[in-house]
Amino acid sequence: MLNLGVMASRVLVRYVRSLARPSARLCPVNVTVRAAAAPLPLNQRSFSLLSCSQRTRQTDQTRVPGSLVQLSRQYGDLPPLTLESIKDRVMYVLKLYDKVNPETILVTSHFIKDLGLDSLDQVEIIMAMEDEFGFEIPDSEAEKLMTPDEIVQYIADKKDVYE
Amino acid sequence: MANPLRGEVVKLYKNLLFLGREYPKGADYFRDRLKTAFMKNRDETDPEKIKQMIARGEFVIKELEALYYLRKYRALKKRYYEHDE
Repeated sequence: MLNLGVMASRVLVRYVRSLARPSARLCPVNVTVRAAAAPLPLNQRSFSLLSCSQRTRQTDQTRVPGSLVQLSRQYGDLPPLTLESIKDRVMYVLKLYDKVNPETILVTSHFIKDLGLDSLDQVEIIMAMEDEFGFEIPDSEAEKLMTPDEIVQYIADKKDVYE
Repeated sequence: MANPLRGEVVKLYKNLLFLGREYPKGADYFRDRLKTAFMKNRDETDPEKIKQMIARGEFVIKELEALYYLRKYRALKKRYYEHDE
């Protein structure tokens, strides 16, 4: 089984190397080969990528024959934050945290006094919030955030969300 | 609570926790070990000793970074060169 995998990877490597030679330039079949063939000179690379994207577009269209091809822009923007949605997300993160009992937690419960966590757990919670909302909370601010409510208030302040 | 080194310890914990996410044995494994290591010395009050421990933590950070560099290097090497058996 392992040998098979090694052989397959060798074949792949050889294929990639043959691709890297300009004489045997073909359109790569899958993404890994395409990524591996990236160190081509710039003009060749742009050519092969272009032809590949055209090809995939064609296959996409042939895959759904007859259906209306709709062009829709998908922006990377999120829906605007409200106090309610911030609160929901904060509580969701807290309920997923393994040391917190999801039934007993309230918006006003103090992490250390009510939930029996210690200050290191609180640091972990703050890090989880940083991940969830995508910005960094400085240590001096983070040590004051001791209830879900305070976290919601802090995030709302930073993200300019008001009632 | 009022210890001036407290902030530094918390910062160290946060940095280590962040680095531990990529740990080969899993983030949970790392987190548990990190937690016990910090909790073992929770009653330490001597500033000199705390400073020593923080220095030790910084050393662990360096080790982790070296580990990740090595892992990255190995992964790249494996992909670009033939395996020698």
